[in-house]
Parts: sequence; C-alpha cells; structure tokens
Amino acid sequence: MMPDENVAGNVEDFPVGSHKVIKIGKREIGVFNVDGAFYALPNICPHQVGPLCQGKVSGTLVANKDTNWKRTWDREGEILACPWHRLEFNIKTGECLAYPEVKIRSYNVKIEEGKVKVW
Amino acid sequence: MGKRESLQDMVVVDLDVHVNDTPTELAPYMDMPWRKSLEHLKNVPWRYLSIPGYSPNFAENIPLWPGGNDRMNVDSPAQMKKELSAIHVDIAILFPDHLLGIPVLPQKEYAAALARAYNAWILDKWCDKEEGLKGLIMVAPQDPEDGAREIEKYKNEEGIVGVYLPCTGLDTLWGHVKYDPIFAAAESAGLPVLLHAATTLVPHFPFNLHQYETFFAQHSFVHSFSMMANMLKMIETGVPVRFPNIKICFTESGVSWVPFIMMRLDKEYVENRRDIPFLEHPPSYYVKKFFYATQPIEEPDNPKHLVQLIEMFEGETQTMFASDWPHHDFDHPREVFNLPFSEEVRRNIMGENALRFFDIDSVGRRNKFKIETNTTK
Ligand code: FES
Repeated sequence: MMPDENVAGNVEDFPVGSHKVIKIGKREIGVFNVDGAFYALPNICPHQVGPLCQGKVSGTLVANKDTNWKRTWDREGEILACPWHRLEFNIKTGECLAYPEVKIRSYNVKIEEGKVKVW
Repeated sequence: MGKRESLQDMVVVDLDVHVNDTPTELAPYMDMPWRKSLEHLKNVPWRYLSIPGYSPNFAENIPLWPGGNDRMNVDSPAQMKKELSAIHVDIAILFPDHLLGIPVLPQKEYAAALARAYNAWILDKWCDKEEGLKGLIMVAPQDPEDGAREIEKYKNEEGIVGVYLPCTGLDTLWGHVKYDPIFAAAESAGLPVLLHAATTLVPHFPFNLHQYETFFAQHSFVHSFSMMANMLKMIETGVPVRFPNIKICFTESGVSWVPFIMMRLDKEYVENRRDIPFLEHPPSYYVKKFFYATQPIEEPDNPKHLVQLIEMFEGETQTMFASDWPHHDFDHPREVFNLPFSEEVRRNIMGENALRFFDIDSVGRRNKFKIETNTTK
C-alpha cells in the first residue's frame, strides 16, 4: 500500500515524451509523460522481474483485417518495451500486448502546484 | 467393471494410407502433351517412390542391401479394403505414393497437370469404390491458382474430404502468401488441409539432410522437420488468423515435436511479438488448434509419457490415428489403442476426432456434423 501522495519531481523534469524511474520508499516507479498526460507504472516486469520502466518508449506494429493484414505503425509514444526481453506494455493501461490477460498495476498521478504527485 | 472396449467396438479412421499412383494408371487422365510422357514411362520398372521423370527420389545415394523388410504397394480399392479390414480400419484417407514428391518437379505446367490427373483418377478409381475410402484434392505448390481451381472443381464430391498439401522437397513453404488462393479456396469450400512430407535430398528445407549418410538419419529428421518448418511459416504469416476457419493437420511426424515447437515459439513470442502482430494469441494457442496424425507414433519405454506429451498440447481432441499403410514404417492401430488413455480419449483419437475433422459419419458420408470449424476445442 502506498496511501500517501508522494512527490515524484517537478513537472519540468518530465517533458512530453519522457519517462523516468523514481524511488518512493522501497518502490521504484516509472513516471511517463505521454502527450502531456502522466502515467506511473511499477518498475518490475512480470516476465522475469526485469527493470521494466527503464525500457524504451515507442510505438508498435499492428496488422489485422482492418489494415488488410499490412503492418502499420501504431500508438507512437504509448508503448513501453521491457529492456530485458522486450515484452511490450501499453503505458496508459498497463496491459501487456503479447498477453492481454496480463495487466500490471498503474499508480495514480496528478499535477499540483507544479509537482508531479504519485500514489 | 465392464469389459474393456476393443478396436472392433469403435470407429477407426486412418488418416494416412497410400495408393500406388503409377504413371500408367494416371496416363489416361493426363492432359496432352504430358500424357505422352506418362505412357512412355510404362517401360520404366516400378520402384518404390522413385521413378525418373515422375517421382525423382534424390535420396538413392546410399548402399542398398538384401534382406530387411519389403517395400509394399496397394493397387486396388479391393486390396486396400481387405488389408485395412485386417487391421480394423473402417475409414481411410488416401494419399499418393509417388506423387508425395510432386514439389520437387521443376516444370510448373507438368506438376499442375499431374495434380489434375491424380485428382480425376483418385475420384474415378478409388474414392468410395469400397466403403470408407476417402480422397483428398492434391494441389501442386508450383501453381497455386490451378490448385485453387481444383479445390473449386471437386469440393462437393462425396468421395473428397479434404485438401492435400505436398511437402516433400518443398521449396517455398506452405504459409507463404503466394499460396493464399489455396487457403482461401479450402476455407470457402469448408475442407480441411493436410500436410504430408517424404524423404528426398534436395537443397530445400530441411536442406541439411544431405549431411546424413544413412536412411536411419535421413528418415529420422525429414518428416518432423518439414512439419515444423511449414507450421512455423504458417504462423509467421498468420494463416490461422487470416483463414480462421481452416482446419490444418500435420501428418506422418508423430506427436512428440509438438510440445517442443509450442514452447519454443511461445518463448520467442515474448521478445518478438511485434514481428507477427496479426497473432491475437501466443503461438501455442494456434498450435493447440492444429490437428496431428499419430504415425509414426513414438514408443517410449513408459507409455504414460506419450499420453503426457499429448496432454501438453491439449491433443486429446486434436490427435488422430494414422497407420501409413502400406509403407514400411506403418503403425498397427493397437499401438495407439493400447496407450493408457481414458476410454473417451481413446475413442476420440482412434476415430471420433477424425469424423469431426472431416465432417463425415461413421461410414464416411459427408456433412454429417455440420460443426463449426475449430469447435472441437
Ligand atoms: S523481464 Fe521483462 S521481458 Fe523479460
């Protein structure tokens, strides 16, 4: 449990498109600024417990009936890839792309008086 | 406790038996000018899966010895029925002998003409000529469009229950998008497809076969590796997603490779999912939806291990008995029947799964289940 709001840093420390791992108590948390909206995820990959949020943020490839089975680039800036074995996660939902039934928890984030607060 | 069921108490469907498709047999069904060539071949003595200009077998580079077991063939529906009845088989799916090797023929028009001749011949001479003998439409990989036309032509024939995808010395693996017309035709016809390989030494997958200097080694690898290679290609190009209603069966490779490929692909999927973004599930999901014919069934010291291997890929609904009669490495049905399955699973594997797979009844009449594809799971 992490009931209290914790200050992750100043807003200007998280420009659009950036992310950073911060420490709150014993917890490592990745804080992401996706197009001005903030998200926070645990820095632990459910696969082999890799440091998930130290991975790269990018988009992903999609191909389905709607794309006529052609590969298209999708959700640029919204996909986090684990630096260990590259499992992809949707930053906005915590959902794992390879195994949609796997969803990592998301922390709450808000901006108050120029501070990024996580709980 | 009731009496244990015997083979005679259940429907036994044999996924894989072979007919002797000699050039002389096929000649009357062959288009010109190719008919001339097949007629000419009547002067060439019969050799097991090896006739120059017809079924070239490039694997004959090792010594032949006297003794050993015979290479056998079946020449008529009556002979087939008699021999299969002796091993308690009720329904049998016919594959060719010689034209197992059709993919190695370099001339596209010739290969397509052979497939057309085989299809006309198998229907005219074999399918339903004895109760329970059912045929497959052969498609030549050299000419996918012609293959699709053949499926369209024969799809409603009572004697035809599926499509045969030849794999022996196949250059471009099944699953390449150039074969889409064949998968589209099979899917719209509601016919399952069955892959089948045989030994040959051509520089195609699995090309390292030429490294081996014994039939022991060549034959150990060729079938299972061919099936794995083709399965991987189909998953790589999304066949089970793009053609979700096709049932796909892998034959003559046993079953023990299935847990391996399933786990191997899932491992790779973790890192490389975005290479294959059309998959809606991990590869194992599709591997478990494919179907598998048992022969050559593995014979571990502890038969329970084989049952466990089948359970690993949830194969109780996907595995189907096959004998490979009359080939040298055939399995008697009791080899599979005697495995420590539950009675229900035993019945399913010996015949019921195949009836659902082909949508036939216990004497081989079509369209009896009207089941939706893939609903066996
Ligand atoms: S630890 Fe994250 S993908 Fe393996």
